[in-house]
Amino acid sequence: MPILALQDVSKDYLSDGQRVQALHGLSLNVERGEMVALVGRSGCGKSTLLNLAGAMDFPTTGSVLLDGVSTSSLKDEELTRLRREKVGFIFQSFQLLHTLTVFENVELPLLLAGKTNVREAACERLAWVELEGLGERYPHQLSGGQMQRAAIARALIHSPIIVLADEPTGNLDTTTGNVILELLLRLTHEKNIATVVATHSLEAAALADTVVRLRDGRIEEITRR
Amino acid sequence: MRNKLAWLTVVLFLLQPAQAQYRTALPGYRYEFPRDHFSHPDFQTEWWYYTGNLKSSDGHRFGFELTFFRQAVSRDPANTAAWDVNDVYLAHLALSDLDGAKFYHTERTNRAGPGIAGASEALGRIWNGSWQIQWEGEDQNLQGIDERFQFRLKLHSEKPPVIHGENGVSQKAEGPGRASHYISLTRLATTGSIELAGKRFEVSGTSWMDHEFFTHQLESDQTGWDWLSLQLADHTELMLFHIRRGDASIDRYSAGTYVDAQGKSIHLRAGDFTLQPASEKWTSPVTHGAYPVHWIVAIPKLGISLEAKTPLESQELTGKTKIAPNYWEGAIVLTGKRDAKPLEGVGYLEMTGYDRAVQLAH
Amino acid sequence: MPRLLLFYQLMVRPLLREPIRAGLTVLAVALGVAVVLAIDLASVAATGSFHSSMEALAGDNDLEITASGGVPEGAVGTLAALPYAIRISPRIEDYALLADTKQSFPLVGLDLVSEGSAYEQDKAGSGGELSSAEAPKDSIEYLEDHESIWVGSSLGRKVGDRVRLLINDRVREYVVRGVYPDSNGNESAIVMDIAAAQQALTRYGRVDRILLKVPQEPNLDEWQRRISAALPAGVEVRPQGTGTNENRRMLAAFRWNLRLLSYISLVVGAFLIYNTISVSVVRRRPEIGIVRALGASRRVILGAFVGEAACFGVAGALIGLPLGRLMATGAVKLMASTVESLYVSSRPGAIELNGASVLLALAIGVGVAVASAYSPAREASLVSPVEAMARGRREYDVSIHKVRDLWLAIMLAIAAAAASRAPAVAGKPLFGYLATILLMVASALAIPAFVSVITAFTSKLLGKLFGVEAMLASRSLAASLQRTSVLVGALSTAIAMMTAVGIMVGSFRQSVVLWMSNELPADLYLRPAGSPAADRHPTVSLGLAEGLAKIPGVVAVERLRAYEIRFQEMPTTLASADLDVLDVVRWYQNSEFLSGRPERQILPELRHSNTVIVSEPFAYKHHLKAGDTITLSLGETQASLRIADVFYDYSSERGSILMDRQTMLRYLPDPAPSNLAIYVSPDARLETVRTEIEKAAAGHRVLLFSNRELRSEAIRIFDRTFAITYALEAVAVIVAVMGIAGALLALVIDRRRELSLLRFLGAATGQIRKLILLEAGLLGLLANLAGLALGFALSFILVYVINKQSFGWTIRFHWPVEILVAALTVVYAATVLAGLYPAQMAVRLNPLEAVHEE
Repeated sequence: MPILALQDVSKDYLSDGQRVQALHGLSLNVERGEMVALVGRSGCGKSTLLNLAGAMDFPTTGSVLLDGVSTSSLKDEELTRLRREKVGFIFQSFQLLHTLTVFENVELPLLLAGKTNVREAACERLAWVELEGLGERYPHQLSGGQMQRAAIARALIHSPIIVLADEPTGNLDTTTGNVILELLLRLTHEKNIATVVATHSLEAAALADTVVRLRDGRIEEITRR
Repeated sequence: MRNKLAWLTVVLFLLQPAQAQYRTALPGYRYEFPRDHFSHPDFQTEWWYYTGNLKSSDGHRFGFELTFFRQAVSRDPANTAAWDVNDVYLAHLALSDLDGAKFYHTERTNRAGPGIAGASEALGRIWNGSWQIQWEGEDQNLQGIDERFQFRLKLHSEKPPVIHGENGVSQKAEGPGRASHYISLTRLATTGSIELAGKRFEVSGTSWMDHEFFTHQLESDQTGWDWLSLQLADHTELMLFHIRRGDASIDRYSAGTYVDAQGKSIHLRAGDFTLQPASEKWTSPVTHGAYPVHWIVAIPKLGISLEAKTPLESQELTGKTKIAPNYWEGAIVLTGKRDAKPLEGVGYLEMTGYDRAVQLAH
Repeated sequence: MPRLLLFYQLMVRPLLREPIRAGLTVLAVALGVAVVLAIDLASVAATGSFHSSMEALAGDNDLEITASGGVPEGAVGTLAALPYAIRISPRIEDYALLADTKQSFPLVGLDLVSEGSAYEQDKAGSGGELSSAEAPKDSIEYLEDHESIWVGSSLGRKVGDRVRLLINDRVREYVVRGVYPDSNGNESAIVMDIAAAQQALTRYGRVDRILLKVPQEPNLDEWQRRISAALPAGVEVRPQGTGTNENRRMLAAFRWNLRLLSYISLVVGAFLIYNTISVSVVRRRPEIGIVRALGASRRVILGAFVGEAACFGVAGALIGLPLGRLMATGAVKLMASTVESLYVSSRPGAIELNGASVLLALAIGVGVAVASAYSPAREASLVSPVEAMARGRREYDVSIHKVRDLWLAIMLAIAAAAASRAPAVAGKPLFGYLATILLMVASALAIPAFVSVITAFTSKLLGKLFGVEAMLASRSLAASLQRTSVLVGALSTAIAMMTAVGIMVGSFRQSVVLWMSNELPADLYLRPAGSPAADRHPTVSLGLAEGLAKIPGVVAVERLRAYEIRFQEMPTTLASADLDVLDVVRWYQNSEFLSGRPERQILPELRHSNTVIVSEPFAYKHHLKAGDTITLSLGETQASLRIADVFYDYSSERGSILMDRQTMLRYLPDPAPSNLAIYVSPDARLETVRTEIEKAAAGHRVLLFSNRELRSEAIRIFDRTFAITYALEAVAVIVAVMGIAGALLALVIDRRRELSLLRFLGAATGQIRKLILLEAGLLGLLANLAGLALGFALSFILVYVINKQSFGWTIRFHWPVEILVAALTVVYAATVLAGLYPAQMAVRLNPLEAVHEE
């Protein structure tokens, strides 16, 4: 069973009173241990797809199954629980809270889920992203790459089954970006999780197990390695 | 008759006095001085009336009037506090600047209060606030003070008091008690000073005092009166009055008194004299009353014929309320003859009821 | 025009996008303006009018003649006989209550015989032009009848109406004989003939005042001298209206303090304007950069933000005007009752909202707004065009020099301590106010350090206690230190003033309670019915005291008498106690004297001698101490009196002089008592005796109080007196809480990315709500802590400096714990409640829009 399954998904928005169709009858499966790269121009529907995948948004028609459960059928509390247990997010501009230390940032999803004694898990995740010893620092004391690593650690802290990354290298130079993507790919395979990365960069996409090329809300091409 | 009654009618009208409490003027009253110069609280109404013609050392002529009225309001024995009103005291003060052609008048009303007004033999004083007569031996000191003028005069009587009427009463109407006790000092040699508009005048001249007390009031068909006091150059004096009736006739109780140079007085009945207004009239701009300010006087049995004219026509005292009457009271100059000999004099003339009938009854 | 357009786009449009926050800011300004205006209007109406209650029908006179205890009436005759062209108007002045409505009116006894004719003469002289001071018409008609009264038209009575009046302890029926026009309700009085008034008040032989109109030449001083020369020594001749001026002076401290108190809301409002504009500046930094890059000068930017503040100011003032007018109505009632119970009889005048008040409101609103916005606006003008492009951090670090400011705060606090030791300046505790201001500034400067220390030390603990939301809240507050400090500053200022005034009033109240337990020795107290005022001393019928003394079980009836007098051009109360009852009842209590000497030693010194004791406010105001001698004009004589000691007294701010009854009767022979103190035998049943007394007093309108009732009545009056201060505090707190609500709204909007992120990271909506509410709660807590600390410090200045120097009372410091706890809890709850709406807004945010940057 795929971790994430999009079945004939369409998504319409109302923008300035006009209907905009972001996704058209799109279907896609993502499996454990698979890193999927979504590529395409700005506005091709990458972010919309990620939002649907993370249960932050819901399809107009069709269904999104996360770990076999249709996101549209869940209530607000169930969605929160779903995000707390199964989904990790990574953002272009890292989105670390600068009032919190790296440790605290990484621990935040667990803390929000009401967990205690989370420091051990945080240390472990920081080790995964090679940030040992930087846990007490504040985000502004880190480089861009380090910040994104911390963000990855945060996305993995609650052992999600799927990680959704929106332009994770968008704010980084190419070299650092590649390092981050490689890290993400490695962790995808090592921890046997599914990762969906939206990116502009074909170079980056080349690393992924599967490349999904989107154009005007439709899948133009799926390339598996 | 010094009839300032008009003023009091206001009070009378309003207070509806119970006259029964008061004594009436009856024949045979025994006059006694100085007692009878002061208050007679047994009688309801009383007044002291001073007028005079004065001249400053540089010839500036003045007339003055200072009048004190007492009207009994209550004789309730429970009235023991100082402010309780047993009598109402009115006073009029007027100055005629005959050569300056200006007439000033003012009035005040008070209760006796804690020494505000009164007429006390013990103090030798008749007063209403700062206006006062202070007896000093045989002389009287007059004080009249207003914001615009003041005068201080010393009056010395050259003749004994005159009792008007017959048998001590001046009869005003038919019937006992319808009369007053009426005393005059007809020739008061006067000296003193007048202050007017920042100027001080040393003056001298002749004044006249009337003092009258009674309880009876005038009859309802009596609409007004004309009264004259005349001080003649031959050291004689005359007092004459007419009471005018509603039908334009002259009341038969009109009367007069002649005082000879020795101070001996002769009662004049209505038939003994004539008092004729000349055609000349002065119309008041305030009340629109037309006053005959020029009179022809004749007393055939004394051989006297006189013309009375005023140097100042506007000597009207205008009342402050609609119900209070207005009257003309002013200095006059006399020219004429006595037994073919020219005779001059000065005097005062009072006229009431020319703007409207004086209302004497309720 | 382009500038205007720019202003609209840059300034007005963003405001319109956040109507609630803009509205709250405007409302905060409006409330601040309203309070100041309300107090201003109300104090003019409540204290400005008091003079007219006795100046009714007083006319245009030049001089007035008074004497303590009344002018001997013979003086009227003396004056009348003076060879001057003066107008003399003797007056009896007191109060009468309409028996049916209990409304109190000045009772003026005039010489209607004389005034009636004077009036007519004036009318003739001036062509019918009437002053409001005319004497009633046709008065002469009813001279003899002591049941006649004349009333002002505002009383709404017609000629012929029968009116029942309570005068002293008697009710009598009067007939309205005339109605005079009183265009202004202030002038409304009940007029009687002077004889009728003397009879009604059983006050023979004296008049209360004689008014004089004198000629212009040569001059008033000369006339004053001439008139004085004609009168007895104890009689004072002074320009008319002196009493009014003295009353004004007496009320100055009261008005002044109240006015200052009203500025607190404004100060709190200023904090909020500052915060609002700061937020605008922070938020629009990129836009400012763009506009600057496009060629706008610094001056334009500065002008735009100051203009924005001015808009708030104008809008606030416009709303504040009607609001202030409305609040003034309530304030007048409160103030009038205070003025009456502490100072002088007064009937509030009409509230007059005129051009000056409108200008005042606008000036206050705009002035405060612009002044408090200047600093953030300058900050905005310093934004460089480059920042337009920089997409860096949204919250920028305002340069806060926590440590430097803390040192400054400490220095200011030391200066405040020094200022609080300085003496009063011209009777005003100016240095006390300075100390208050210094402390408030010090506190504002210390708050950033305070906030960072507290949050740093408590965020972990809070996280443990209240979960991750608390930690986030604490961190967020610490992170936006400037904003937090301003909010804490605003709320803590309001809380501090509330606490300080609360402590002062509480201490005062406690002092009064303690004092009364020592001061009221008798079992029952009796006084004439009617509303009590500090300057009115209606009397009890003479026979009543003797009648009561015969009732079985009554040990003694002490007759107390009080007069309203003037000493050194200040109104005061002269009272006498019947020390002869000391022979019967050994009531030496624990009355406290400044010297510490016991009462049983001091009071016998007073008996039958020219020795007095004076109250503390009296001694303070006139710089007197035990052993000094004062000269009082009493009736027609000047009495020299030695001060045996100074007693604590909280019953009136005006101060009082107490002497033996026998001494007083020597100077002021009127034997009627103002109050009776009745001592009941311990063997008798109090209730039985009381019933007997009530029977004996039937027919008199008197109030009988037991000892306990009198105390609770006094406390009731006390509480009513201070109601207005509580009202002012409440408004300041409301303003602050509104500010918190507005600021939290801004916080939510500014942090929507962060809040959205939390949703991505698994935060439930409930957690978001909790986070905002916790921030509100933390703000409240910080403000409460800072406010309590500041308030405690301020309360010392209020109790020991401002109160003492303004009023002369020694107040024992007392914590009104219950009231403070209750008030702070309410404030705290209000703060948290203020977070409800912003929290709801945070919950409704769409996380997608906030997080994704395209």
